[in-house]
Amino acid sequence: MTEPYFPIGKLVGIAEIGRMESSAPLFAVETTGLTKRYPLTWKRKVLVALDHLNLQIRSGEVFGLLGPNGSGKSTTLKLLLGLIVPSEGEARVFGLPPDSLDARRRVGFLPENPYFYGFLTGDETLRFYGKLCGVAGAALDRRVEELIELVGLQNGRERPLRSYSKGMLQRIGLAQALIHDPDLLFLDEPTAGVDPLGSAQIRDLILRLKKMGKTVIFSSHLLEQVQEVADRVAIFSLGKKVLEGSLESLLTERQSTQIHIAAELSTEQEAKLRQALGQAGLDSAAIQFQRPQLSLEQLYLRTVQAQSEAAAKGAPKP
Amino acid sequence: MMTSLYRITVIGRNTLTEAVRQKVLSVLLIFALVLVGSSVLVSEIAGGLDASSLFEQQIKFVKDFGCGAIGLFGFAIALLSTAQLIPQELHNRTIYTILAKPVRRSEFLLGKFFGIVLLLALCVALMSLAFAAALYWQEQLGLAAVDAADTQIPNWQQNPTLVSQYHNDVAQIYQQVRDPQLIEAILLLFMKLVMTTGIALLISTFASSSIFTIVTTFMIYLIGHMESTAREFWLARGAEMSIWQSGLVGFISLLIPDMNSFTIVDEILAGNHVPWSHALNLLGYANAYLIVLLAVSIIIFDYREL
Ligand SMILES: Nc1ncnc2c1ncn2[C@@H]1O[C@H](COP(=O)(O)OP(=O)(O)O)[C@@H](O)[C@H]1O
Ligand SMILES: [Mg+2]
Repeated sequence: MTEPYFPIGKLVGIAEIGRMESSAPLFAVETTGLTKRYPLTWKRKVLVALDHLNLQIRSGEVFGLLGPNGSGKSTTLKLLLGLIVPSEGEARVFGLPPDSLDARRRVGFLPENPYFYGFLTGDETLRFYGKLCGVAGAALDRRVEELIELVGLQNGRERPLRSYSKGMLQRIGLAQALIHDPDLLFLDEPTAGVDPLGSAQIRDLILRLKKMGKTVIFSSHLLEQVQEVADRVAIFSLGKKVLEGSLESLLTERQSTQIHIAAELSTEQEAKLRQALGQAGLDSAAIQFQRPQLSLEQLYLRTVQAQSEAAAKGAPKP
Repeated sequence: MMTSLYRITVIGRNTLTEAVRQKVLSVLLIFALVLVGSSVLVSEIAGGLDASSLFEQQIKFVKDFGCGAIGLFGFAIALLSTAQLIPQELHNRTIYTILAKPVRRSEFLLGKFFGIVLLLALCVALMSLAFAAALYWQEQLGLAAVDAADTQIPNWQQNPTLVSQYHNDVAQIYQQVRDPQLIEAILLLFMKLVMTTGIALLISTFASSSIFTIVTTFMIYLIGHMESTAREFWLARGAEMSIWQSGLVGFISLLIPDMNSFTIVDEILAGNHVPWSHALNLLGYANAYLIVLLAVSIIIFDYREL
């Protein structure tokens, strides 16, 4: 049901196709000098929520917006959705103005602390948003089934959203953002208020979307999670973008190298290795041997997942 | 165009669903109770009078009361549910989830408006049903009273005078109860409610709270009722009116719909014949006014910072 972005019919000649492709937007999102100011009390002062943002995000990238509360992450996303109007500058989504229907047909949005209509059930919510996007009939039925499955909300289908937990709201929010199979996703703190297992699932979902070729732009202050999924990040502070780059380039420490050995070393083996490295010309003081530690998160996830798998199999609880 | 209409319908239906699930319709139970109660009460008061004139008063009371209650309950539902439409969407930020989809702001607003219109149509239909039931009950009472009065004399069927008297009485009851003009009256009442919704919606596009919308709409409603009276008063003084005064009156009548024109409902209830053409004219005026209200609402809402 998503129309091809360039409806190339049989009648379009080769030359014309070439021209259309060359005019295809290079970036999924591009902003130039994007600025949002809010007048404060009695218009004596203004608050600069976003200050001359220049951003270019390619199709297929997973991009993380980082920054403390109030640094302008949500403002950026709202501007990219055309929900608010910039005070200055310009934003383009697939080369289109963000508030155009054509742009919004291709984007999905999960708002911060999502809240939907409490009187609708999970199923009805997805149907409602699906219809607004022009998905209907059998295609909608199929899509609802898929998404309920995808976000794991089978137990919430028939329940009104007012009885949902925070984590369930995030999931239904993700599902409604995906209902029209958009190419670009804006997720505003998708893991806020979700327990570690749920947030690991959301992280996996983002990775799956990336594999499907979607562009994902998300904000978060759970740094570890951003690190696991983002290709590139930008760090915001007080409305300004202060740092931007690929995680690889930002985080690699050029002065050090790690060797990973998937086995426990005996003291003897360690001594031999030191010797070998010394022969390779390395200063022995620069060599360190460490047992990697699990992060608490990894430990937690392993434990809880094992437990819930056991419960699913009907095994008696310890 | 078609997809635009479709989205408006989807939003409208959702708005109606919301109202129904938030139990707005349960207000109508109170309406039904009040109507039935008053209907029973009036029949008891009038127990001892002679059949025909007593009956006329009784029916008039039930009609007045029924239409009055439909207007009042409808007004409350229209005003309260319209006033909180936009503030609630903004407060819960559900509006973001809709406008992030390929939906125009104008479609959102129109969807909300038609949702309330559907709600009002449903409420007015249900109230009319209760009203019809109350009238039917009155009719049965009336027929029983005629039976009791006209058919007591033995062998009355052989007496042509008595027979024609009986048929006369029955016909009169039917005529008073089954008054087709009531449909006209209810239609006009409905239109007035839709106008109220339009005004409230316009105000809520720039209001910062629902209280502001409620109070302002209520004031416009009152001014709308006094407007024509005031105008007649000014006009009666003729030459004394200055340019300023006539300008002011003209400005107000342009800005505020003439709600008083709907008082022809009272004429209908008083038993005067109001031709359909007059009612249709009024509906036309109301619709034209509504289109202006909606157009202005859309323009304001388009520029509103969410
Ligand atoms: N509607 C508004 N009116 C006034 N100030 C606002 C409004 N929306 C956001 N702000 C301000 O803009 C700044 C950036 O907010 P936001 O983008 O929500 O931050 P973040 O999502 O990074 O936490 C904050 O200081 C916030 O108070
Ligand atoms: Mg935020």
